[in-house]
Amino acid sequence: MARVKGRHWLAIWLVALLAALWAVIARQTASLNAARALTDLRAERAGLEGKRDELERRIRTASSRAVLLPRAQKLGLRLPADTEIILVPTAPPR
Amino acid sequence: MAKPAVRLGVVQIGLLGALAVLVLRAAQVQLLEGRRHAAEAQAQRTEHVVLDARRGTLFDRHGTALALTQETYHVGIAPNELRDPGADAALIARRLRLAPRDLDRALRRRYAWFAGPYTALDVEALRAVRGVHLEPVLRRFYPSNEFARAVIGRVGDDGLGASGLERLLDSLLAGTPGSAVVLKDRAGREYESPARVIAQPIAGNDVVLTIDAELQEIAQRALDDALDRMDAEGGDVVMLDPVTGEALAIASRRRDGGARPSAFTETFEPGSLAKIFAAAALVSLNRVRANEHVSGEGGKYQLPDRLVTDEHPLPSLTLADAIRVSSNIALVKFAARLEPDEQYTMLRAFGFGAPTGIEFPAESPGKLRLPKDWTRPSQASLAIGYELAVTPLQLAAAYAAIANDGVLLQPTLIREVRDPAGAVRYRHRPEPVRRAVTPEVAAKLRDLLRGVVAAGGTGARAALANFQIAAKTGTARRVVGGRYAPGQYTASFAALFPADDPQLVVVMKIDNPQKGSYFAAETAAPVTRSMLEQALAARTVALDRARLSNVAPTAERAPLDEINEPDGVVPYVVTIPAPASLPDSERVQPARAVPDVTGRPLREAARTLHRRGFRVVVKGWGVVHHSWPAAGDSAAAGSTVTLFAEPRH
Repeated sequence: MARVKGRHWLAIWLVALLAALWAVIARQTASLNAARALTDLRAERAGLEGKRDELERRIRTASSRAVLLPRAQKLGLRLPADTEIILVPTAPPR
Repeated sequence: MAKPAVRLGVVQIGLLGALAVLVLRAAQVQLLEGRRHAAEAQAQRTEHVVLDARRGTLFDRHGTALALTQETYHVGIAPNELRDPGADAALIARRLRLAPRDLDRALRRRYAWFAGPYTALDVEALRAVRGVHLEPVLRRFYPSNEFARAVIGRVGDDGLGASGLERLLDSLLAGTPGSAVVLKDRAGREYESPARVIAQPIAGNDVVLTIDAELQEIAQRALDDALDRMDAEGGDVVMLDPVTGEALAIASRRRDGGARPSAFTETFEPGSLAKIFAAAALVSLNRVRANEHVSGEGGKYQLPDRLVTDEHPLPSLTLADAIRVSSNIALVKFAARLEPDEQYTMLRAFGFGAPTGIEFPAESPGKLRLPKDWTRPSQASLAIGYELAVTPLQLAAAYAAIANDGVLLQPTLIREVRDPAGAVRYRHRPEPVRRAVTPEVAAKLRDLLRGVVAAGGTGARAALANFQIAAKTGTARRVVGGRYAPGQYTASFAALFPADDPQLVVVMKIDNPQKGSYFAAETAAPVTRSMLEQALAARTVALDRARLSNVAPTAERAPLDEINEPDGVVPYVVTIPAPASLPDSERVQPARAVPDVTGRPLREAARTLHRRGFRVVVKGWGVVHHSWPAAGDSAAAGSTVTLFAEPRH
């Protein structure tokens, strides 16, 4: 087997160095991409939570007595007196 | 001139000296000052940032969020980074609701900054715009801004609780901030790189309040309407569950729109609402017999130091009459049989003169002077609710003790505390303070209060037809600036609903009603009835309807089998899940005949049976074919009648 000459060693070391550098850069790139994706997901989640809160607020406002009662009164409806309320027990859920 | 060898030696020594200085300086820089320099370098390249902890959410008892933390944003804009300045500026102005002229002016700077804060929805469309930089910031959000505002309180600009429960529960809600290290470039800008998290932020605990959102809304709306209609200066409504001490609704409002927590912090003289506590002492100590009468004195009774009057005098009154018509004269006469210590002890036993212990900052203890500080008319004054300052909450807690068989409970606003993972760290259990009166005395007091809403009682306008309530009216002169203000009154009303096995204690106070009557009988009493009717009709209100349906209807005296509603009025049917085992055995009710409802529509039949005091279970649809037990059979009130129905042919 032929002896590896000095210049070959140099080439091997150079390749090893390049490979190590490539590995470092690849890892950094991957982690930056992951960080960006994480930031995007976080923002998306915050956006969805914000939407949910806003929609809940609108639902609560829309279903509040302050909104419903005047509209119901316009339609000729009114709150029942206690004589008009019947408590009917139903079978317990199985 | 020295020889070359000497000169060489001198140069060598000089060089060695310089080298030694270099080595020593290097040692100084690296060994002695190395840490400091390293820290400086680190500080220039990195920055410690605080990661805000999400503040815990406040929920109502049914899980409706009342205060929560939301991620919002400050918006920074680098004009030179915008790809299409015209279109981007228009989009930014629209999303951030800015006047185009203001935005144009801001974009002339190197970096425009809009503090907002803007919601995620506002900035959603801006995320993809180059040159727009969003800085997230956590912000407290109240879905219904005016909902229980005085109780919940607010968070200050520093993110800490500033008032109300937000302040009191700050240490529970706040959580623990985390920290992280981010890399910076020479200009101090952050690199887009994963932050090195040193400590993760720990979110705050969630707190479930005892407040019932629907009852709270009923109370707030009723109070607002009442104050507007009566042109009153302010008012409060407190609703308590007497069995647990849980506050279900607490509403306060002033005419100027302010929302001070006056139900906790502002005192008033309760007037006739306190008569029941003088009666408690008289009954407990057996100082009065049930059929014992005192003279009504024609409505005017002169004491050595004061004149006591009655609005509607009766010739003679028992204690029950005195409570029913709220007679000052009779109560003053009966209370004269008590020693000052006895009267004082009873008022203290019901919690007056001391804070209730509810979890709220700056609760007022009210005012009840020691007997040694009383003047000659004090005993008479205290019997009819003067020389005594109480908060609406104290009154509600005291009436709750009457409802709760004589045991005074510490009222509470906190039902549960949950950690961020959802595990329950605290759950409220009823906390008895003391037994104020025996169960027998409490039952007698409830009977006395029942008379108030019967015909001829001062609270008749609060009466419900199908459910009996026990209540008391109170109309007292108002103290303004330490003196009784002429023509100013406080109208108040306390109710136990229903009178048997009460589930709800309501105290309503109206300050200085100026339009119409100022008497509680005509102001606070009908408003309380309206609140109770609304609570009955609401599906989610914290009432145990299974227990309510066991309560014998009060409308028995009315014709039962006939529907007397005007045409087109359909009864409102609230279905309730029947408990697996009905506690019929706990209530021995008299037997009665099952009415014949064959051939009737189901709703009408159910109503008829309900009025008879029966529970109803429906099988099928249409009109009633038969029932079990059958029509005419005898069954205990509160027992279940099953209706078998068939489609109408």
